[in-house]
Amino acid sequence: MANSLISKMGALRIVPVIITQPSRTTTTKHYIPKFKKQRAQKYLKVELPDPNEDFGSLSSSKIRQKMKERGILPPRPWMERPFYLSATGGVFEPYVPPEGDGKASFVSTTRAKQAVELLEKKSKSMMAIRKIKSFEEEFDQKEFVLQAQDTYIKAHESLANDDKRALRTYVTEKAYPEFRHNSHLKTIRWKFIESLEPPRVVHARCTDVVSKENIFGQVTVRFHTRQQLAVYDRFGRLLHGSEILAKDVLEYIVFEKHLSNLYGTWRIHDKIIPDWTPPKEPSKLTRIMPEPEPEIVKVESTETTEPVVATTTPELAAKPAAPAVADK
Amino acid sequence: MNSFLKNLFITSLKSNQLKSIHTSASALAWSRTDNIPKSFLRHNQKIYPPQSPDEEPRPAFVCHQKTNIKYSPEKLWYIASFVRGMTVDEAIKQLSFVPKKGAIFVKEAILEAQELAVKEHNVEFKSNLWVAESFANKGMVVKGIRRHARGRMGQVRYQFSHYFVRLEEGKPPADYYKRNPQTPQQQLANWLEQMRKRKIINSY
Repeated sequence: MANSLISKMGALRIVPVIITQPSRTTTTKHYIPKFKKQRAQKYLKVELPDPNEDFGSLSSSKIRQKMKERGILPPRPWMERPFYLSATGGVFEPYVPPEGDGKASFVSTTRAKQAVELLEKKSKSMMAIRKIKSFEEEFDQKEFVLQAQDTYIKAHESLANDDKRALRTYVTEKAYPEFRHNSHLKTIRWKFIESLEPPRVVHARCTDVVSKENIFGQVTVRFHTRQQLAVYDRFGRLLHGSEILAKDVLEYIVFEKHLSNLYGTWRIHDKIIPDWTPPKEPSKLTRIMPEPEPEIVKVESTETTEPVVATTTPELAAKPAAPAVADK
Repeated sequence: MNSFLKNLFITSLKSNQLKSIHTSASALAWSRTDNIPKSFLRHNQKIYPPQSPDEEPRPAFVCHQKTNIKYSPEKLWYIASFVRGMTVDEAIKQLSFVPKKGAIFVKEAILEAQELAVKEHNVEFKSNLWVAESFANKGMVVKGIRRHARGRMGQVRYQFSHYFVRLEEGKPPADYYKRNPQTPQQQLANWLEQMRKRKIINSY
């Protein structure tokens, strides 16, 4: 190896000097530098716009300067806060579902306690229903419950069909974003199979908002049904549920109506989720775990009294000579 | 655009109402978002019908674009076609060794698309992607003037270009450009056969 290297170097030494024409490799530069200025004057200077300018990183004074250059007025301050008056923003005095509803026995202690509480609340519910009847004379619980179930089914169907206009008629403005949450670009297949128990009114409340006459009514209906749900992502891959598996669903749905409004309708307002609901099943979609946050390690250096703060990722820390560690 | 307005609001108005900003026509004049291509990104909105469990899962894809890059579309074309049919990791590795200005934009676009795929399009592994489409188009052209002899003048075109990329989940095809590369053994065999097939003139 060494021998061959020496011989090669030797050959280099012996190589005869060939006089070659110097070749130019930079082709963008003129070969006569003398008239560079005059050549530049041939082109009129144009200020090119920067379409991908990052306005977020500019300082406010810089933005002001730029707006002045272009003669643009700053956007009008929009201080008004829009709010909607035909639906309330929440559930007042929400219904507390008895523990283990649909399966647990009546003899458990919590269940007994809740039964007593329920009796107290029942009188309030009766009062509220009487109030509702004062506005809506033909209000009948049996009739209402059927109508509520119909609304419930139609609201879910319009969500599955992505029919936003129809959904608005079955759902209040408060529930609308909650309904539509996470449904963007997904295919939902929902089917109502049967009602296991007839739906019933479990709770009713009325409140006035702003003025005495402006009254909202909220009625909680218990649904025990059998449903099918399958959610697919944009590419038609299953994300949640199944199209062949039916599940028993116990739900407490709050319906709301603006009673003072002559044209008010009973719409889905909220869903009461009890504390004892079983945990949600994990998503079928798997993801890799995000990398751990870089730990902040304080390095005590001997030379200086101040502690040097160095951020190290696990890989960096594993290496013997990490650049963050300042040592001589 | 939005980030700019947000910034402006924070600095000048101290308002917490950031989402319901009134965007007037004068604000739109600030950055021209109306003349950038939109149709390519619309592929990201397409919803495909659900598949049965026995079907092969449809590969996820993500479309991404970089608009109005200050670079010639003719030059960008070479880089766009170079990267086509590569895996994402390979493309990024190769592009970091291309000594051209356009390679930086293409690399950025691919990295952005990769991040989008993982964040928004249900792609689990970010390396399991390949460059299925990659092309460059003409963008905005600013016209300048230059002087010529005898009081004439010429036009200078300051060209901008758009770059589009679509990353698809899975492995790239073995021979994307259909070049049919042969192994040395195959080459030798072909050559031998060709040689033996020769006709020797004036022989039997």
